[in-house]
Amino acid sequence: MPVDTLSTRLIGLRGFYRAGYRSVLAYRSDLLFGIAGLVIQAALTVIVWRVLYDGQDEVAGVGSATAVAYAVLGACIQAVVMPWQFSSLPQRVIRGQIGVDMMRPRSLISQNLAQSLGTIVGRLPIGAGGLVAGLALGGVQAPHTLLDLVASVVSMALGIANIMTINLLVSMTAFWTLEIGGVLILYRFASSFLSGALIPLWFMPAWLQPILDWLPFQAQIYAPLSIWFGTRHGAELLGTLAVQLGWVVVLFLLLQAAWRRAVHKVVVLGG
Amino acid sequence: MPPIIEVSDLTKEFSRPDVSPGRFAGTRSLFTRARKTTTAVDGISFQIDAGELIGFLGPNGAGKSTTIKMLTGILVPTSGTVTVAGQVPWRDRRSNARTIGAVFGQRTQLWYDLPLRDSFEIIRDLYSMDPVTYRTRLGQFTELLDLDEFIDTPVRSLSLGQRMRGDLVAAMLYAPPILYLDEPTVGLDVVAKGKIREFVAEVNAGRGTTVILTTHDMDDVERLCRRVVIIDHGKILYEGDVELLKAQYVTSRDIVVHCTDFDATTISSPFAQVVSADTVKATLRFDPDTTAVPKVVHDLTSRYPITDLSVLEPDLEDVIRRLYTERTPAAARSTDA
Repeated sequence: MPVDTLSTRLIGLRGFYRAGYRSVLAYRSDLLFGIAGLVIQAALTVIVWRVLYDGQDEVAGVGSATAVAYAVLGACIQAVVMPWQFSSLPQRVIRGQIGVDMMRPRSLISQNLAQSLGTIVGRLPIGAGGLVAGLALGGVQAPHTLLDLVASVVSMALGIANIMTINLLVSMTAFWTLEIGGVLILYRFASSFLSGALIPLWFMPAWLQPILDWLPFQAQIYAPLSIWFGTRHGAELLGTLAVQLGWVVVLFLLLQAAWRRAVHKVVVLGG
Repeated sequence: MPPIIEVSDLTKEFSRPDVSPGRFAGTRSLFTRARKTTTAVDGISFQIDAGELIGFLGPNGAGKSTTIKMLTGILVPTSGTVTVAGQVPWRDRRSNARTIGAVFGQRTQLWYDLPLRDSFEIIRDLYSMDPVTYRTRLGQFTELLDLDEFIDTPVRSLSLGQRMRGDLVAAMLYAPPILYLDEPTVGLDVVAKGKIREFVAEVNAGRGTTVILTTHDMDDVERLCRRVVIIDHGKILYEGDVELLKAQYVTSRDIVVHCTDFDATTISSPFAQVVSADTVKATLRFDPDTTAVPKVVHDLTSRYPITDLSVLEPDLEDVIRRLYTERTPAAARSTDA
C-alpha cells in the first residue's frame, strides 16, 4: 500500500485544484461576461469616485487618487475571490455525494480548499480585466516602496486564506439547513461592506471602527490595500500581518471544529 | 485465508424528530424535541471471502444501503463490528479509501462540469497512480466499455448509461481489491446493462476483485453471483448459494406443451397437474422432489402428438418475491428505514 508522503498529498490535492479552475474555464461565456462586468464596474468606479471628490483634495485624510485606486483594486480582488458559488459543497451535500467525498484518501477540508484555490486561480482573468481597465483610466497607483509591495502581497495571501476559510464555513451551513441561499446573500453583503471591498474602512464612522477592528473581515481586503497604499509602517505593519495570521489560524481551527460536527452529523445521523 | 470482509452483530439505529400527525403538525415539529428511533440494520453477521462476487439483496428500505455505508466507512454503526481488509472502515477512513472502490447508481462521483477524462485525471492524482499504470489501465477500460466516443464529453451531457460506465472506471482505475456496486444497472437499457455486467465479471474473474453487488435486477444476480445475502427489516433472510435458494423455495416446476393438430385442453398426466390450457397450449405443474423431469416428458410425448415442449427454469425473481412476501407481512412494515 502506498505510503502518504508530502508529495503524494500535494499531487492528490492537485487534482482538486485542477478541478476548481477547469470548472471555471468550462463555462467560457460566463467567464467572459465576468470580465466585461468587472471592466464596466472598474470604469464606473473611477468615474463616480472622481465625481464624488469633485475637486476636493482630501476627505477623511484620504486623497482622491488613493480613494479611486483603492476602489478599483478592491473591486478586482473581490471579483476574483468571491465567486457567485463559493464551492460545490452545498450541492454535494444535497445530492448525497458528500459520502463519496468521505471515501477519498484526502481530508474533506483539504479537498474543498484545494478546489476553491483552483476556482480563484481560474477567475484571475476577471481581476486582470478590471485592473487593465483601471490602469487605462489612470485609476491605479503602484505602492510607494518595494517593501510596501512585498508586504501587501504577503498580506493579500493571508487575506485570501481568510476569505477561503470563511467562505467554506459559510458553505458548510448546508450540512444543517440544506438550502443556503439566504445565508449566502447575508454573508455576501456583510463581507463586502465589512471587509472594505466596497468602501474603504477609512470612511466608516468613528463608532463603527472598533467593531470593524474586532471582526475578521477587515483582515481580508482592507488590510492588504492599506499596506499597498503605504499607510502602515514598521511595527504597525508587522502588527497588521500578525493579526491577519492570527485570524487565519483561528478561522482554520474553527473550520476544523465545524467539520468534526458536520462529519459527526453525517456518520452518526446518516446525513 | 481469512475472509476479506467480516461483519458481526452489526446494528444501526437512526433517531429522527417525531412528527405526530394532526393540526399544525409542521409548526409543532419546530418546537418539539420528541424523537423516534428506528432500527435500519438489526444485528446482522456475514463474511465475504477475497475474490467473491456476492449479491446483496433486499426490498427497498431493507437496510442494504445503510449496511453498504457502514462497510465503506461513511456511517458509524450503533453497535457491532466490521473489518474490511483488516481495517475498521470508519476509523481508518482514509487508508480504507485506497482499499475500496464504489459505484452508487443513484449518484455520481464524477465532476459534473468537466469532461470524463478530467475526472479520471483527478482520480489518478488522488490515488498517486504512476502515469504508465494509469495509461495502460485507462486504455484497457476504454476498450472494455467503449468509452472512446464520450470520454471528452462533459459529465453533465452524458446519458445515464455512459455516466455509469464512467463511474465504474473511476471506481476501478486505482485497482482497489474491493468494489461496492450499489444498483449499478438501475434505469439502464439491455445493451448498457450487458456492458456493465461484462465489466463486473471481468474485474472479478480477471483481476480477482471482491465485488459486493446490490441490485433489484435478478438478471444481474443470475448472471454474476454464485452467493447472495438477502436482508429485510435489517435482518438476514437468507445467506448462501443462489442455486440452493432456488431449490429450497421452488417446490414446483412447470412444463409447457404446444400442439397444432390436437386440442390441448384434453391433455392430462398422472405425474403432473394441468394448470392452464387452451386449444394449442397447456401448462402442467409437478413436484420435482417426487417426480423426475424425464418421466413427465416421456409420459406426455408418448401419449400426445406434441410439436413443442419446454421445461421452465425456476425463476429467481419468483423466488425472491415469495421470500419477501412470506417473511414480511404487510402489517410489520410500519417503519421504513
